Amino acid sequence: MKSNFRRTSFICLCVIPAVILFAIFMVAPTFNVFRLSLYQRSTFNPNEVFIGMKNFQMLMKDATFIRSMQNMLLLIVMVTVFTMATALVFAGILTREKIRGQSFFRVVFYIPNILSVVVISGIFSAIYDIDRGLLNSILNLFGAEGVLWKGEKHVIMSLVIAMVWQAIGYYMVMYMASMSAVPGSLYESAEIDGAERVTQFFQITIPLIWTNIRTTLTFFIISTINMAFLFVSAMTSGGPNNASNVALLYMYNQKNLGGGYGYAMAIGVVIFLVSFGLSALVNKVTERDILEY
Amino acid sequence: MKKFVTLLLTVAMIMSLAICGGVSASADDVTIKVAAIETAYGSQVWADVAAAFEAETGIKVELTTDQNLEDVLTGPMQNGEFPDVVHLATGRPAGLTEQLVKANALYPLTDTLALTIPGEDVKVSDKIAGGFTDNNIVAPYGDGVTYMAPMFYSPCGLFYNEKLFAEKGWEVPTTWDEMWELGDKAAEEGIALFTYPTAGYYDAFMFALMNAIGGPEFFNAITTYEEGAWDSENGQTLLAILDKLASYTHPSTPAQANNQDFTKNQLMVMTNDALFMPNGTWITGEMAGALETLENDFAWGMTAVPAAGEAPYSFCWFEQAWIPAGAEHIAEAEQFVAFLYSDVAAEIFASAGAMQPILGIADMLEGENVLFYSIYDNGAKAAMGGFAAFGEIPGVDVSSTFFTPIDSLVAGTITIDDYAEQVKTNSAMMRDNLLG
Repeated sequence: MKSNFRRTSFICLCVIPAVILFAIFMVAPTFNVFRLSLYQRSTFNPNEVFIGMKNFQMLMKDATFIRSMQNMLLLIVMVTVFTMATALVFAGILTREKIRGQSFFRVVFYIPNILSVVVISGIFSAIYDIDRGLLNSILNLFGAEGVLWKGEKHVIMSLVIAMVWQAIGYYMVMYMASMSAVPGSLYESAEIDGAERVTQFFQITIPLIWTNIRTTLTFFIISTINMAFLFVSAMTSGGPNNASNVALLYMYNQKNLGGGYGYAMAIGVVIFLVSFGLSALVNKVTERDILEY
Repeated sequence: MKKFVTLLLTVAMIMSLAICGGVSASADDVTIKVAAIETAYGSQVWADVAAAFEAETGIKVELTTDQNLEDVLTGPMQNGEFPDVVHLATGRPAGLTEQLVKANALYPLTDTLALTIPGEDVKVSDKIAGGFTDNNIVAPYGDGVTYMAPMFYSPCGLFYNEKLFAEKGWEVPTTWDEMWELGDKAAEEGIALFTYPTAGYYDAFMFALMNAIGGPEFFNAITTYEEGAWDSENGQTLLAILDKLASYTHPSTPAQANNQDFTKNQLMVMTNDALFMPNGTWITGEMAGALETLENDFAWGMTAVPAAGEAPYSFCWFEQAWIPAGAEHIAEAEQFVAFLYSDVAAEIFASAGAMQPILGIADMLEGENVLFYSIYDNGAKAAMGGFAAFGEIPGVDVSSTFFTPIDSLVAGTITIDDYAEQVKTNSAMMRDNLLG
């Protein structure tokens, strides 16, 4: 009994500092975001006026907000699909096949991940250049007309390309780590049974690293929301005419220009709930029995 | 007894010395915090002016300069730690000055303008050129009280390649009819009539254009969100010009009209891909690096926004210095603001190309600036001011209402009717929330 009490108090003592820090730096600010979203408050005027759900009612009528949410969701879906597909294929090739310079490719794919977003946006500014850019030069070579990559029609696609390019390496390394843990005997017996490489990939590799894929899906949602803010700020400033604006950037700008802190926090609440809901949904949908090997 | 008196006197003397010393020490010990935005003029000018101010008044200056001054100031200011003097410009994306106007957090400069400049025997108000202290930027509440001191100014207008015009024998247009004619001629040679760095540059351009269409009366009607202003004859002319100009704009412009690629749009004027762009005198410094890469002849030219019923107008853009209402040393801050208009400070600023709206400043101009700043002597009228300040409206601000939709207008994704509709709806909201 006594040792149990000592054990409990020791655990409490160990946990308390972390709990206090978590409460001060995570719980309290989050609570404050929810509280402020019900108030009207400007940045430099400490007077807070309680206005209930009015900020949220205004949000539903705000066309730019709706557009920025649409852009955010579109980016989440497209970046997730393209990055996951390519990262899985590359990881599969690099772990299962014997290719010359394997570690060289691994490094090359990972490099974009350690570059700063500002550098990446500089690189893509050159790639997307209308007259002398890499992409338009290739198009011109085949007689096609140059594309306005950062124009209203293609700006989201341009962001997707840059974001996928940046993210592939990170997820590829994660998938490679779990793929290399899959026992080689499974592939050998599959081969004897006559299964081809593609079948092996879908029947053995994917089911066995499913837990890992599920975890990365949550990562995709959260990191795309954050990275989209950085990429859009650096590459397009949300333009032309809000065509590439995303929810976090809109929240940041509203704090300064439009509706003040209260309104910006209401946007924050919506982003919070959407990302939370989306992660929960994805988690539920991808639920499978864990395969052991 | 004698000893006691001597002792008493000695103590009294030491104490009085200490008190006097204490008083003079505290006056000398005042340190004011000055925060200034670092722009193309550099930050050394501010260090030099601060040193000159210290030498003149004995008041110490703790100087902060930064290219993103708002990021440095916002946090401390929210905690109630205000600098004593801030030098910044309105219309920046972070909108710090505008937020303080909305929060009534600026100190009125009525007394400051009446101060005698330290080291001189002239009043501040006597030195500032006319029109700079009573426009709706520095007196945002419409009550005639000035809250910001006008600082470095720059005539804005349409910039072009003078050499190209000389080579082709083209005249610089002074009316919009001539402008369209020139646009057609240029189109035959594969040159677009117009481009702009970012849609934000439409502010100075549109302010001048409003004046060029209907004079200050029409400008005031639009910028105070008067009902029916956009439906008036002048309003329709403004919309028609914006619409036609969009069709004459280089099609690549909107795709490059962001903070990263705007110099590519500016370069189009230098490489003869476009004829005109709205800009300010800082453009020469900003694009100096591109001069060496040019294969064609080039020299900067600048003209006013052509007339459309009124005279050609050039918008006068200027930065501002102000004192936050929460500043600790208001009296000393006022001294500093007054000192900014001294001959010593003006000369330091002018040496970096930063021209203040001080009477007789023209004598300090050098190089291309002589040409640019003489725009008002060559027939163009000066436009000044901006959109009237209004309270917070969720999702609505000046830039996204009036300027950024120009990108879509040029790209053809919205029509001029869509633009007019949005402008009118938002103007009505701004009218209902006018400050002052």
